[in-house]
Amino acid sequence: MYSEAGSTTMSHNLHGTFISQKVNKIRWKPERLEESHFFVTGSVDNEDQKIVLWDFIDNKDDDDIYPFAVAEVPYCGDVSELKFLNPDYFASSSSSGSAHLMKVAYAETGEAHIEVCTTWKDIHYFENGESSPCTALAFHENDLVTVGEDGRINFFTAQSKDVARSIDNADSCSIQCVIFLKHDEILTSNLRGQMKIWDTRSESNKPANTLMLSGDQVTPTYLTFHPTQRHIIIAGDELGALTTWDLRQQTFPVNAHEGAITEIQFHPDNPDHLFSCSTTGELWHWSTKTRYTLGFASEETNVWLAPENVKSKMEVLTLMPTLGKPINSLDVSKKKVICGCGNEAIYLVNGIAL
Amino acid sequence: MFECQEISAEHKDLIHDVSYDYYGDRIATCSSDQYVKVWDRNEEGKWILSSCWKGHSASVWKVTWAHPEFGQVLATCSFDRTATVWEEIVGDTPGPGKSGQRHWMRRTNLVDSRTSVTDVKFGPKAQGLQLATCSAEGIIRIYEAPDVMNLSQWTLQHEVQCKLSLSCLTWNCSLSRAHPPMIAVGSDEPGSGGKVFIYEYSENSRKWIKLDTVSCITEPVHDIAFAPNLGRTFHILGVATNNVRIINLTPTDDEQSQQSGITKLDIQTVAQFDEHGSTVWRVCWNVNGSVLCSSGDDGCVRMFRIHSKTLWKQEGVLKGDGNQVPTAMEAAQSGPQHIPQGSPVGSIASQTARYIKLGSISQPSREPWY
Amino acid sequence: MENNAKTFLIPNDLCRRAGMGASWRPMNEIVVFPYEKRSVKQKDQPTSFASNAPVSIFHIRRSVILFHPILRKLVNESNGVFLTLQASFKTKPSDLKMEILSISRQYRSIIRACLENLQDEVGKPNITVAERSEMHNYITIFYSVECVWHLCEILFIDVIPGNIVLPHLLDWVRFHFPKHERNAAILLASNSEGLELEEEFWPTVFGNLLQGRIKVVRALLKQHSAANSPIFQLVQHLLKSMPTYNVMNNVSVSEFNLQWRHWVMDIQQQIDSKQFINNHNLNLLMRLLTGEEEAWAEIQSQCEAWYEFLAGWLCYSETTVKTFELGQYAKQSIKKMRMQNHLRHLDRVLLAAMEFDMLLVIKEVQEMTENGWFVSHFTDLLHHSGRLSSLEKEVEGFSADKLRESFILDYGTTLVGHKSLWQVGLSYLDHCPKDGLPTIQLLLPRISFDSEAKVHKLIREAISRGLKNVAQSICKVQGMRSLSRGRLGNALTWALKSQDGPFTSYLADKYLKQYISSGELNNTDLLDNLGSSMLASDRLIFLGKYNEFHKLYQEGEYKECGHLLIALMVSKIVPKFFWPVLLSEAIPLLESEEIVFSANDTFTVLHCLEEKEEIPELSDKISILRLAAARNLSRALMYEAQCENLV
Repeated sequence: MYSEAGSTTMSHNLHGTFISQKVNKIRWKPERLEESHFFVTGSVDNEDQKIVLWDFIDNKDDDDIYPFAVAEVPYCGDVSELKFLNPDYFASSSSSGSAHLMKVAYAETGEAHIEVCTTWKDIHYFENGESSPCTALAFHENDLVTVGEDGRINFFTAQSKDVARSIDNADSCSIQCVIFLKHDEILTSNLRGQMKIWDTRSESNKPANTLMLSGDQVTPTYLTFHPTQRHIIIAGDELGALTTWDLRQQTFPVNAHEGAITEIQFHPDNPDHLFSCSTTGELWHWSTKTRYTLGFASEETNVWLAPENVKSKMEVLTLMPTLGKPINSLDVSKKKVICGCGNEAIYLVNGIAL
Repeated sequence: MFECQEISAEHKDLIHDVSYDYYGDRIATCSSDQYVKVWDRNEEGKWILSSCWKGHSASVWKVTWAHPEFGQVLATCSFDRTATVWEEIVGDTPGPGKSGQRHWMRRTNLVDSRTSVTDVKFGPKAQGLQLATCSAEGIIRIYEAPDVMNLSQWTLQHEVQCKLSLSCLTWNCSLSRAHPPMIAVGSDEPGSGGKVFIYEYSENSRKWIKLDTVSCITEPVHDIAFAPNLGRTFHILGVATNNVRIINLTPTDDEQSQQSGITKLDIQTVAQFDEHGSTVWRVCWNVNGSVLCSSGDDGCVRMFRIHSKTLWKQEGVLKGDGNQVPTAMEAAQSGPQHIPQGSPVGSIASQTARYIKLGSISQPSREPWY
Repeated sequence: MENNAKTFLIPNDLCRRAGMGASWRPMNEIVVFPYEKRSVKQKDQPTSFASNAPVSIFHIRRSVILFHPILRKLVNESNGVFLTLQASFKTKPSDLKMEILSISRQYRSIIRACLENLQDEVGKPNITVAERSEMHNYITIFYSVECVWHLCEILFIDVIPGNIVLPHLLDWVRFHFPKHERNAAILLASNSEGLELEEEFWPTVFGNLLQGRIKVVRALLKQHSAANSPIFQLVQHLLKSMPTYNVMNNVSVSEFNLQWRHWVMDIQQQIDSKQFINNHNLNLLMRLLTGEEEAWAEIQSQCEAWYEFLAGWLCYSETTVKTFELGQYAKQSIKKMRMQNHLRHLDRVLLAAMEFDMLLVIKEVQEMTENGWFVSHFTDLLHHSGRLSSLEKEVEGFSADKLRESFILDYGTTLVGHKSLWQVGLSYLDHCPKDGLPTIQLLLPRISFDSEAKVHKLIREAISRGLKNVAQSICKVQGMRSLSRGRLGNALTWALKSQDGPFTSYLADKYLKQYISSGELNNTDLLDNLGSSMLASDRLIFLGKYNEFHKLYQEGEYKECGHLLIALMVSKIVPKFFWPVLLSEAIPLLESEEIVFSANDTFTVLHCLEEKEEIPELSDKISILRLAAARNLSRALMYEAQCENLV
């Protein structure tokens, strides 16, 4: 359905589908044995929000393939984050201040549907009683953490119905992002670009460490860590820069996108490849140009920590012609990238070069 | 063509004014029952009464919102000779998920008028927090809160005598900095002579100066509204009098006006609509000033749209109808399956906020195709 | 449209009895309520309508069919094409005409995809009767849109060699009357002989003949049980030998006409010799081929529309008709079918197009009830093709730019009012050179938000268009909200983003006042990191520096602490209400074991003390301060004297 208007020559297979809802988060459902073909989307900006499970079955013979909606659940508020904990369960967070644990379940007839397992309702709120958007969610095995505009951090496990611990006023500003650094350490970032490291075992309501993303208080929009070296963090920000740093050393900003970066994802199986998307509608694939940097595992040669030549050592590929609308979310599985876009469409890029 | 959603306003008498906040997410209503009510839209799109209080000791004529930059602020005016500024306070709550106690605090009572205060309007936000009132005794009063974070302190900056009893007032909201603040007022006093007066704030003399009288309008005027100005060189004024008038005010750049620093206006009636066939009570503009909406003694609400930037045409009429069964409310509650055939109920309304299709009476001018 | 405005009924009796008032609700709604004008001269008492029955208000909005999920696909996809056109026009493509044609075809393929989706939806078993009728309504609308667009593409946009329009016209008719082709396929697929026994046989033969599908006609006739009879063989032969005109064949029009006349003469001879007299249908078929008036009069009842008739008629009587001659033939067809007085809206649009009255087409197209999708995209396309501006010379006071802009502005404004399509709407307003930006300036700040994610989106849209004041206003509103939610730090951050000095100062004061009442500075994580943003207001500088003073004090850096305190005292940025606190902070430093304040510093403290004496909150501290200062002064003077002596 995607009309190839204005598209440049592309080596990839690009499939677009208009789905009449704006997608804020899109995630492949990981599979144990086979290749992923299910994915889940969470909406934003619609009259009613929902989480939808889609099936996108590859067909080698037919180019004309579309994902089709398998199941959906209505959702209260914008879906601010979606993350699969394992092939069956995923967690979501909402702008209405709640978080959910859901399951992709199968009926006896084999049809898949979404089951809401646990609702952590109203875990983010302001002191005047208004609900506060929950802005992000992260997990480590079964431990979950959510952060919100109320400056609160909530810790809980996937198995429990209650929040195990809350740090009220953990931040005097809205917290925008959160990731786990280790099983007992998380990193949060706030509206002003302040990053705080928290020891989850500590009784104290104070962060273990505080640092700034940059001097000029730019808001980080997405955080991710290097899959094999978790102390290497990459942040995308409001102005479109990717900032890389070794938590024990200093920061290395790389100017990248024109608009704010909406998401950054490492390839789950191959950390030589990184994907990013932005509000100006760019979808980029960063890869190491030559094979000699395969020694990625060794810190010294990690290309991300060589700021002056990140750009020369990395090859940046544009995966899609710009559509003029923001790309809100992306995910990678094997050779397939999916993204959700502001024009109420989702796109699949098949056959990326790894 | 049109869909409607009914909200029970719970007033015990006719409503005098309905006003929306800047985003259209909150409603304020006022009535002869002396109450002011505020309604909020909840997550499901339903309108919930969030506050209700006795605002005055007589009929409340008008209610209006300040720009959200100043917080949640309302002004009302009443037959009881006062205008009041209200601010919403949300109290702390004991626990999560419980809405705090909302409460509208009377921040100031403006008691300078000796007669009924007939209209109250906040000025454009570029001028800070200003409030204009007009009254039956014929005086425009401009108040200002010098510290916008302190709404209990208002100073009466200007009093402008108009001699005629005033019924309505409007600020010119121009996006252009080249235009000094401007106010138009209307009088509903019978008798000969112009009934619409245009004032401008002169930076030099620090006074409001009368620029002109719209001499072609001599019948009593009941409402008046400047269209939002999109950066045009001229201003558009809608007037409710014995008919609907649309008037262009064009500042002229002659030497005289440049020397005196006082704008000279070229005033032209660009449209006159007699469709109401009777007195017109209210006029209002849409957000970008392309449609004027009027209501009159014929019980109809009429819409007029500008075409190709010059030509005004009537484009739709709304009329109350008690014969149509079921009412919107009943239809929404009972669901489409109970509606007799041929009734104008569609099902495209979203689940959260039901809108039903409105029936129409005039014959469509043309047959449908195919 | 004059005085022709429809009246819509508000189902409420009170509205009928009392009359109604109206207000606007941002963005695009009207609210009406029962209303009666009261004069201030009347006595203030309950109206005759006062009762315990609830009074209702009514939100009225235009039903926008484009917001239906299926049509939103069309909205979004066509937006992509629209933007492509605007972008490619900027680069002035070398082959503008082909570019425009390709864009036009893309739009049409989007309409067709949309029609397909609608058909699929209608076929679904689980939709209600009302929904199904709604879908049928949309299908009708978009079929008409496609029909008009396709014809206009042929006439106004496509480049037709030699202006020989017939083949295009036949294509157009074939798409919009697909019945005959479908029926033929069904009949032929049955593969049985004696097809004439089927009721649909002859209507299908004639239907295909009218659409110029000679091969299909012949195939059908071959399945007639008498197909091998000499008469059928003759018909087959005559049909096979029909000359076809092709502009590429290097055959001139006059040569072709000669061939055609020969062929017709041939048929006429056969008719005259009563060859087909025993088979009425074959006879009619042959007479149609010769263009015989009565034969065409006989067949016209089989045509669903005059333009179906027109295409068939031209096919056999004016094969080489030129585009600009279409209008007159169209009128003749309408007359022949006696439809002059029963023209439907679609008929009028198509006739206007064939008469090349582009402005009338645009005017009529506005009345298609698809909320302006068609007229805005179509006018924009015509404008870029240059066809519209050529009208400026012919029609007085007509401006192509203005016309295009007014449609796009309306369409964009409609979309901006939708929760999800607002960004799509903005991209249309971006392409209105005159009023686009001011309209965005009015609409963008009114888009409501309930999360900071949305706030960021709105600010980005504002900043990318250079609307700094809009962005600042949004920041300020978010700051005020944070304040009412008790999130002072967040409010301050937004105040700084909005560059609102007084608001920033107000918030800084709040921190200082909180400190006075609680003895604690809140949000030190923020205050410690103010950096250069501190410069936004004097009050914030004071707060930042005071916070620094606290930090130094806690770290035991008394010397530095003292310097900072004195610097603050002389800085003239100390809020009046804070003097008691600031002066009290001096007491422990004056009395510290190590000398912190020099004699000069002490004089400064004493000087300030004198100046601020009258502050009531200070009264109980004055004597302590004086004593401490005096002691410190003597210590300091002695120490300084010693130092001097040493030098």
